[in-house]
Amino acid sequence: MSTVFQNRARIRIIILGFFFMIWLVGLTIRLIQLQVFEHPRLKTEVLEQNQNRNTVHPKRGTIYDCMGNILARSLPIQSVFFSPFKGEPSNLQLEKIKKLKRILDLSENELQSIHKRIERNSSFIWLKRKISPEQEDKVKKLYLSGIYFLEETKRFYPHGRLAAHILGRVNIDDVGASGIEYKYNSVLEGKKGEHLILRDAKKREYRFETLKEPEAGKDLILTIDETVQYYAEKELEKAMRKTEASWGTVVISQPATGEILAMANYPTCDLNNPPSMPLSLDRNKAIHHNFEPGSTFKIVTAAAAVEARKVNLTDSFDCSKGFIRVAGKTIRDHELFGVLSFPEIIIHSSNVGTIQFGQSIGDEIFFETIKAFGFGKKTGIDLPAEEKGIFRPLDNWTQISAASLSIGYEISVTTIQLLQAINAVANKGFIISPSVVKKILDPAEESREKPYRRKRIISERTATLLTSILQNAVQRGTGIAARINGYRVAGKTGTAQKFDPSIGGYSSTVHTSSFAGFVPADNPAFSMIVVIDEAKGPYTGGEVAAPLFREIATLVLRYLRIPKQQEHLNTIIAERRLRQVER
Amino acid sequence: MLFVFCTIIVIFILTFYIWHQMESIRIGYEIGTLEEKVLTLQREVDELETEKSSLLSLDRVEKIAKEELNLVEPKKEQLVYDEFIP
Repeated sequence: MSTVFQNRARIRIIILGFFFMIWLVGLTIRLIQLQVFEHPRLKTEVLEQNQNRNTVHPKRGTIYDCMGNILARSLPIQSVFFSPFKGEPSNLQLEKIKKLKRILDLSENELQSIHKRIERNSSFIWLKRKISPEQEDKVKKLYLSGIYFLEETKRFYPHGRLAAHILGRVNIDDVGASGIEYKYNSVLEGKKGEHLILRDAKKREYRFETLKEPEAGKDLILTIDETVQYYAEKELEKAMRKTEASWGTVVISQPATGEILAMANYPTCDLNNPPSMPLSLDRNKAIHHNFEPGSTFKIVTAAAAVEARKVNLTDSFDCSKGFIRVAGKTIRDHELFGVLSFPEIIIHSSNVGTIQFGQSIGDEIFFETIKAFGFGKKTGIDLPAEEKGIFRPLDNWTQISAASLSIGYEISVTTIQLLQAINAVANKGFIISPSVVKKILDPAEESREKPYRRKRIISERTATLLTSILQNAVQRGTGIAARINGYRVAGKTGTAQKFDPSIGGYSSTVHTSSFAGFVPADNPAFSMIVVIDEAKGPYTGGEVAAPLFREIATLVLRYLRIPKQQEHLNTIIAERRLRQVER
Repeated sequence: MLFVFCTIIVIFILTFYIWHQMESIRIGYEIGTLEEKVLTLQREVDELETEKSSLLSLDRVEKIAKEELNLVEPKKEQLVYDEFIP
């Protein structure tokens, strides 16, 4: 009995084991089939259903000033778009959009454009790009189907209008359109990447693969100092309101390196709310505008005469008539002088005297000196669309050219060219290209500091002599309004009549006033040029530009902690140095 | 006996494989969440830095100093330089 029972039990166990084994083998075969043989097909199907390939826009590089303050940075922001489902009637689509009109502040033109795209059955329609977080919240609360958000970035300028013309602007796609943003766009924008995101049935991300790593844009460190820039802009604005001039510009640099500390323009605007026609923003007067410099150019004439040894410091020139006739044209002085020595001509800015020694230089030498000072060609500043000025080739000079050029006419220059020229004097004869970008921060390699090259254009003796003359021009000449108690300032004023095409000659009512100088004269901490165009009321460089130089320089000297020099000795030192060089 | 042993081994391998897959997915979720968190925090830092920069902009500071705190520019004789630069 027991044997029969045991046999049956064994048979049952064998049958059960057999079915279990079949089930196990079947399961194994199925798993092998799914995981091995059908793996590529199934994976492709899953990926098609659950994967997203996202283009990753790299973060645009940040722009800092030389002290590490943020001047421009890109931050994420949402854009809203409409993607209707297939077969959705267009009137229903339009109704949805109308609900968003007020929240998104859509204009009639924008609505019409959206309407047209709906009529054309577009599957992707931008409603508004780069909306505020408040607008985003309001749109989300409406729970409208087909309305989606896409993350983009927006450029923010934390200081609003500070250094607006240097920084420039970006367009809606964050591509540089002017200024540094344009010039260094390829450095700032980085390279796009691609991500593969796998999601499960609940749309949760469970796998994240980087197909192509995005390369973030590199950060830039400018030579601009936020504080110096602020002083320049604040004082320029005050002067512009006072003089009611049409435009003005101030550029401050470190002569030894050519680094620009500030470049202020007026009128200007807030970069976070640029005007709808941002042309004024795109035109940086300091590098885009050519003008006849007038007497500030006498520095170059004096340098050429001294360098060519055509004039001695003891030489005197008769300026008593108050005018001089050159090739049938009469050129006058701004006031009547007697007999002036060479330094006194520059100190008092006599046109008659300058023309006399200017004509003795010789056309070729004069031409070469002007060229050596960098006029007629771009300075190479790292800002876009720099003008090169207008300087005639020697072959096109007329009988009056040397005389006109001596006093800063018949040549058009940019503000930055004039600054480069005064820097050559401040640098004891070396010319250096100005620059606004100090460093490109590259995480992959060591930060690259931009090298600067200098070239001697005049001897140290000539530069020292000119410095002494310019110092005297501020101590007791036309630039007296630029004098700062306790500091030795060297500089030269300029007042140029503007050419009026309607009368075919120079206007006696509209002028470009300028002042170019550096301080302290013997070891310059900074140089500065001020240009004010068409000032109403007082208009000379000494009345308009020199006081502005003084106001800004006083603040910058305090900021840079340049201690006062011995005040009562300034005049004595300036005169003694002049006499020393004379000997 | 051998059959039972092989079966146990196969079951063990399959169990291990499934556990491995599950763990990979779980860690994938975790990495995704953490990466998102890092990104969010980095953005927050960027936003706060930009806001700080905006709040410290010189025209705003000057306005508050002069209009709200009634501060004035120092007079020339009040300036003391902490070191002498020859």
